[in-house]
Amino acid sequence: MTDDSPRPQLLRADHLTRHFKIGGALSRRTLHAVDDVSFAIGEREIVALAGESGSGKSTIARMLARVYKPTSGEVFFEGKPLSSMTSRQGRLRYSALVPMVFQDPFSSINPVFRVQHGVLRCLKLHRPSLSAAQRLEEAARVFEVVGLNPNMLQRFPYELSGGQRQRVGFAQALAMRPKLILADEPVSMLDVSIRIGLLNLMAKLRDEEGVSILYITHDIASARYVADRLIVMYAGQIAETGPIEDVLTHPRHPYTQLLLSAVPDPRAPLSVAAETDRGEPPRVIDPTPGCRFRWRCPLAIDTCAQVTPELAELRPAHEAACHVAQTSSEEVKAFT
Amino acid sequence: MLEVSGLTVDYILDQGNVRAVDDVSFTVGRGEFLGIVGESGCGKSTLLFAAAQLLAPPATVAAGTVTFDGTNLVGLTDDQLCAMRWRDMSVVMQSAMNALNPVTSIGAQFKDAMRAHGKFTSEEIAARSAEVLKMVGIDPVHLRSYPHQLSGGMRQRSMIAMAMLFTPDLIIMDEPTSALDVVAQRSLMVQIKELQLEFGFAVIFVTHDMSLISHFSDRLMVMYAGQVAEIGATKKIFDRPLHPYTQGLLEAFPSIRGPRVPLKGIPGNPPDLSRVPAGCRFRPRCPYAIEKCAVIAPDLYPHDGTLVRCLRREDGSLAS
Repeated sequence: MTDDSPRPQLLRADHLTRHFKIGGALSRRTLHAVDDVSFAIGEREIVALAGESGSGKSTIARMLARVYKPTSGEVFFEGKPLSSMTSRQGRLRYSALVPMVFQDPFSSINPVFRVQHGVLRCLKLHRPSLSAAQRLEEAARVFEVVGLNPNMLQRFPYELSGGQRQRVGFAQALAMRPKLILADEPVSMLDVSIRIGLLNLMAKLRDEEGVSILYITHDIASARYVADRLIVMYAGQIAETGPIEDVLTHPRHPYTQLLLSAVPDPRAPLSVAAETDRGEPPRVIDPTPGCRFRWRCPLAIDTCAQVTPELAELRPAHEAACHVAQTSSEEVKAFT
Repeated sequence: MLEVSGLTVDYILDQGNVRAVDDVSFTVGRGEFLGIVGESGCGKSTLLFAAAQLLAPPATVAAGTVTFDGTNLVGLTDDQLCAMRWRDMSVVMQSAMNALNPVTSIGAQFKDAMRAHGKFTSEEIAARSAEVLKMVGIDPVHLRSYPHQLSGGMRQRSMIAMAMLFTPDLIIMDEPTSALDVVAQRSLMVQIKELQLEFGFAVIFVTHDMSLISHFSDRLMVMYAGQVAEIGATKKIFDRPLHPYTQGLLEAFPSIRGPRVPLKGIPGNPPDLSRVPAGCRFRPRCPYAIEKCAVIAPDLYPHDGTLVRCLRREDGSLAS
């Protein structure tokens, strides 16, 4: 399923930061939704971005989709900075190469048109060289790729189930011949029995169509099922990142350990550590230096309250931002 | 304590009746934790609403009884039900954001519930409200907070605190954790279980996430297309699921441990309840279906202490 050979880089985020002003017009308080986040996505790679709600996952996706402008930092796509893409043509080309698939398949498709409308419009806008007949042909092709019968193009969204609608979302993205699909919780609204089918589709898009996917999720088990690499976010920063199997078998950041201990798994005995955690993720408003997990962390030391930990490589290609993990030679378990 | 027997709920629509819950029977003993799982549209929420007599038109109970502490709730008047609600049984809804009133404080809503169901002085109300909030791990200062000032987990916890105001015998929970993150989810589940062990109330817990309740429920009921597919001890069902649908559900979960294996999920979609297929309702999606499954509508058959709605279990032709 995965191999560890490095893939050519497709997109790189460099010290990406996004702050939001909150409160009234005179308020000077800022919410640090994403703070100094750097990562890269390779070709033909599924990267899972995991974390609690409010951890900044969706803000990152929106910056990559150019919905938000970063407060500071830069995104490079195929080596070119996004901020230099100012022409309409350049922006259209980018949104065709990096489309988004949304969480809610019930509100992300226009209910008054047949489902072919969205697919054909994407084709018309982003691949203007195609004739009308070719557009229909191409729409039928992408429907087949995502596992839908091409005669469903004529259906209305209300005639489709949630799983089928989400496949339409992927078909629309695929019609633009993308390099990277930003999938924001694409399966969380779907029933358990249907989720696997969509995860399998994501793996198929990577393996057969060569598309990279940024898979945003709070479900670590599903991330493990499809993703090659994992980025764990906490309070707007990256807590830990690395090859997914390595992060899951050797989690070094206490937050990753907490997250893993909370995953319900009928095949595993009940872990008790999570009982002691009644914490909540902080809303990061005008933060002071220091680790943002320290209030919930049983391992916190004095340094954690003074110095913001930086990501450091603790195992091959596997980085964690934790003072305790970085200073101790063996693996420390905060939660099991 | 609670006995639901032959409960059938119809939605009466212009296009014809839709039977959302079809002949469902189960019991809940004192202090028991019953989990109900199923996909969306399988009738699990309708069943809960029927059990709590909260159904509103177009839904009506077409047949069956709901006996709670010896009283049949079906057909009771609103006044009679009102006397039991909160005191003897309470319901925790799916979305705490919508279930709490956004324009009054948590404390005021606790006061409303207590005033409506008993005579209490302001001091008694304040003391009891603070007490139940503490039980669920929230600082009583939040009695003055409004719902938007609390996090999702705290809102859901204060709903549970409210449900416990009168220490009822039964708390019905409709997916209380579905809007929460895994960490908050786990800590809420552990808390519900602790409170249950301490106060001895029974819980009916509805969820679509089977893995969530594996460690918490005593018995498990799996619903499919308005019917009970399988009901039995949780551990037995997880160790050896008998219904092909239950097997499929269990195999649809990727695990974070063990080898990475490709999973298939369950092909197809649940049937439209206004047009249920003849024979077994799961047949179109079932990998083990044989000819007679298309003809005979299966009953619930006992099998090693579990009840399972599968013809091939009944005749023993399906090996585990």
